[in-house]
Amino acid sequence: MACLSDETLIACNEGSLGAIEAARVRDHLLLCPACRETAAHYRLLERALERPQLAMPPARLVPQVMERLFPAAARITSIAAVAAASFVFLVSWIYIYFDFSSSSLVQALRLTTDGTTGWLAGIIQGITSVYNGAQAVRKALGAMLRILFPAPLGVVAIAVAILGLSLLLALTVFRPRLKKAKRT
Amino acid sequence: MQLDEDQVLIKKTLRGDRKAFEELMRKYEKKIFSFVVRMVRNEETAVDLTQDFFFKIFTVLDKYNYEYKFSTWAYRICYNLVIDHIRKNQTQVDSLDDEGVTSHDLLASDNVSREDGFKALARAETRDYVWNIVDQIPLKFRELILLRYIQDLKYEEIAEITALPVGTVKNRIFKAKEILKKEMEKDGMLV
Repeated sequence: MACLSDETLIACNEGSLGAIEAARVRDHLLLCPACRETAAHYRLLERALERPQLAMPPARLVPQVMERLFPAAARITSIAAVAAASFVFLVSWIYIYFDFSSSSLVQALRLTTDGTTGWLAGIIQGITSVYNGAQAVRKALGAMLRILFPAPLGVVAIAVAILGLSLLLALTVFRPRLKKAKRT
Repeated sequence: MQLDEDQVLIKKTLRGDRKAFEELMRKYEKKIFSFVVRMVRNEETAVDLTQDFFFKIFTVLDKYNYEYKFSTWAYRICYNLVIDHIRKNQTQVDSLDDEGVTSHDLLASDNVSREDGFKALARAETRDYVWNIVDQIPLKFRELILLRYIQDLKYEEIAEITALPVGTVKNRIFKAKEILKKEMEKDGMLV
């Protein structure tokens, strides 16, 4: 009987032969030392291949992907949000605290409205109504604070606002940078 | 439809759960990296490509079809990414198309330094020795051996990923094993 092909011996080792073909190969191997040896070699090879040593990826691989996917965008939006909120907060506060009721700008705008029509009048009215709203809030807050605290609170409020904003900025901007620096 | 573990993680990721995607990456990073590093033979490039792969997976995750296994879908993306990279940088690897190459030709090049079989046997396990040879066989054989044994895929799955007929996949894997055996014999590993 002719010797078995390498392909048959490989398939036999992989267990991919049909039952009849596998039995025929087994019979042949009993009688043929050359094929037995070749089959043993392929078995050794198969065993070596079946247990591959997987390469260890560097520890930075996944964190870097995560950073690329998420925090960059999150950081930009959070900084933008903090900046916008700070701006709105400071402008409102300055307007309220320093009381611009005698401000020539607002007065001028009010006067301009009378002689203006269309979209410009709308804008000016909008600005003055925001101003009036802010004034109302200021008066309410002032009254409340005067009841709660007898001392002038302007300086304290500014200090608290600046401290809070600095803390917020430090947490959102500098902390991730510090973490990154530590990692690298 | 019953979802498997990977598919549950995908669902969670698509709902915005970042931890779920991180878990998915942790599950596959070793196998993907091992595959990529053996394909491109350069660790830094492999790191970049593995990261690109996960990034790409995330961006196309909403296109994943739950009727198929996630691993097969992911390996196909990984395979295409790596093959694209190799085609763009062909000088770094063996020829993709050398049909009639013999095992001797493959290993006789000057840039391949290999110890003889006995020394290698003394210094490393047979497995390491065999995988060292795998790293040096042509890409068209190597990629299939890697998909079969590193990714642990069936012939049919490999055929799907590589877009080759199942018969071709089987033949190439048989041929690769013949090459590996011949090299082992030549180096006295099978005496």
